Amino acid sequence: MTGSEGNLIPAQDQHLRRMLPNPERVTSVVDNEHIIRSAFASSPEKGFETLFRLYFRPLCSHAVRFVYTREVAEDIVGEVFYQLWKSGSYATVQHSYRTYLYAAVRHRAFNYLRDELTGNRTATSLDDLGDTGQDETPQTLIEYDETFQRVEKVIQELPPQCQRIFLMSRFENRKNQEIADELGLALKTVEAHMARALQQLRRVFLPMGLLFFQFLH
Amino acid sequence: MEDLVNKAVLFDYFSGRVSPLQKKSVESWLSEGSNRELYYQWLHEWEMNRLQTNTNWQLVYEKTAQRINNTFPAVEEQEPPPKTWTISRWGGWISRSGLLAASVALLLMAIGWLFRDALLYKTVRTGFGETRSLTLPDGSAVTMNANSSLRYSRWFGTSIGVGNRTLIADSAHENPRMVELTGEADFSIRHLPNNRRFVVMTPGGLKVTVLGTQFTVFSRERATRVALRSGRVQLTTGQKTTPPLIMQPGDLVTLNRQGKLDLTRTAHPESMAAWKDHRFNFDQTSLREIADILHENYGLVVTIGTSQLAGRTISGSFTAQNANELLKLIAQLLQVNYIRENDRVSFTD
Repeated sequence: MTGSEGNLIPAQDQHLRRMLPNPERVTSVVDNEHIIRSAFASSPEKGFETLFRLYFRPLCSHAVRFVYTREVAEDIVGEVFYQLWKSGSYATVQHSYRTYLYAAVRHRAFNYLRDELTGNRTATSLDDLGDTGQDETPQTLIEYDETFQRVEKVIQELPPQCQRIFLMSRFENRKNQEIADELGLALKTVEAHMARALQQLRRVFLPMGLLFFQFLH
Repeated sequence: MEDLVNKAVLFDYFSGRVSPLQKKSVESWLSEGSNRELYYQWLHEWEMNRLQTNTNWQLVYEKTAQRINNTFPAVEEQEPPPKTWTISRWGGWISRSGLLAASVALLLMAIGWLFRDALLYKTVRTGFGETRSLTLPDGSAVTMNANSSLRYSRWFGTSIGVGNRTLIADSAHENPRMVELTGEADFSIRHLPNNRRFVVMTPGGLKVTVLGTQFTVFSRERATRVALRSGRVQLTTGQKTTPPLIMQPGDLVTLNRQGKLDLTRTAHPESMAAWKDHRFNFDQTSLREIADILHENYGLVVTIGTSQLAGRTISGSFTAQNANELLKLIAQLLQVNYIRENDRVSFTD
């Protein structure tokens, strides 16, 4: 992050440069908020552009910790921005934009993962989440944090080849056949590895999944 | 508690490197509402120092901006289009090209006749592995299972025009809401003030006549079945000798090979529509029958190693989002192997 700072922000934008997070320098949150609010004051378009510039990347990075697919993470974050615009709530955001965005993205990402692993995924799961997750309890916050940590742990503990194939499939958006060709494996082997990875993920969520399942009945 | 939680602790906590006690103190720190802002501030900082993906925010920004522009200004554009077709121009236009207009009209009629089916009827199809919910023009809700099709009139549910007064008067019987179903679908019918009937036709010649109710129709090569959850439906078959049958809630009726209706009771009529939740209910269901289900829902051609294997059964309720999940589940439950190559699946001991 520190190394690429210069590429991100033109040198003349010194006021923005100060906003950039840096291990040695505390991110000035208040200033971030100030910039966003003054951008929204000039026009909603400017406001949204600023929100995207400041928060899109870290939000995607955070959502990926849950869903482990780049496209899905980007869709989730994009949808949160879109809903923020569509509902018009950008004008009345309580607390900070950062809190609103992170809470909404985490809420969506968590629900997406839960639905995927417990088999309740529907076509509308992504779009129809009206609830933006703004009324979370400390327990919810911790549940979310534990969730992405567990996902990470599962993936870390996959056998090397299985992990490699899983990441190629989910992050590079490669077809099983392409992966098989590149690694010189049979298609069936690749599919087996993918199935194994998903099964491991599901196994970790099984206690939670069962709870949810019982709740449904 | 406050002094136990600081930025370093929270960073460790995000990375999953805190003791259970520390986690407990984070939890009580979070119950202080004012700390939520700080929590997200630190989460943001933590994330910024550990970015995992490289995304191009400009691309998504433009995409989102476009999506917003497509949705919102469109409302303004929906004002009536400028009326450039003035009366005076009409007169001149017709006289100049009356012949042309007539031939165009003729051509349109010919095309209309050729495509009358597409013009008069709307057909909704689901592919293999796909379920779909839709609302019919009369407000009734239908959920279709995979590999099914539903055909209904485009004028479905609308009243007949002024010229047909007699029809309106007796519309409850003369002008029922008709749909044709091949495959499986679950219906929740809206009762209309004028008591208009709702009729489901199946290729097997079975007719389900309804007055506001919830039921599931299964109409595939293997069998034709109707399960009633609530309300009342009347079944008629193509055979004149079979009297119509009135179903009560909890009835399960199967159309047998001779075209007769077999009535049994089921404690769970809703389980016939379990597929709505991607659920599969098996009750001593043999692998042979499951092979039929795989064929009907996902278009798979299934071969089973031995007839002994084909006779093994599964009981229980399971969810599976797609064919692969279902296959894996079956293989695990029966402790057997399977090989899938495109649409071909074979089970072996």
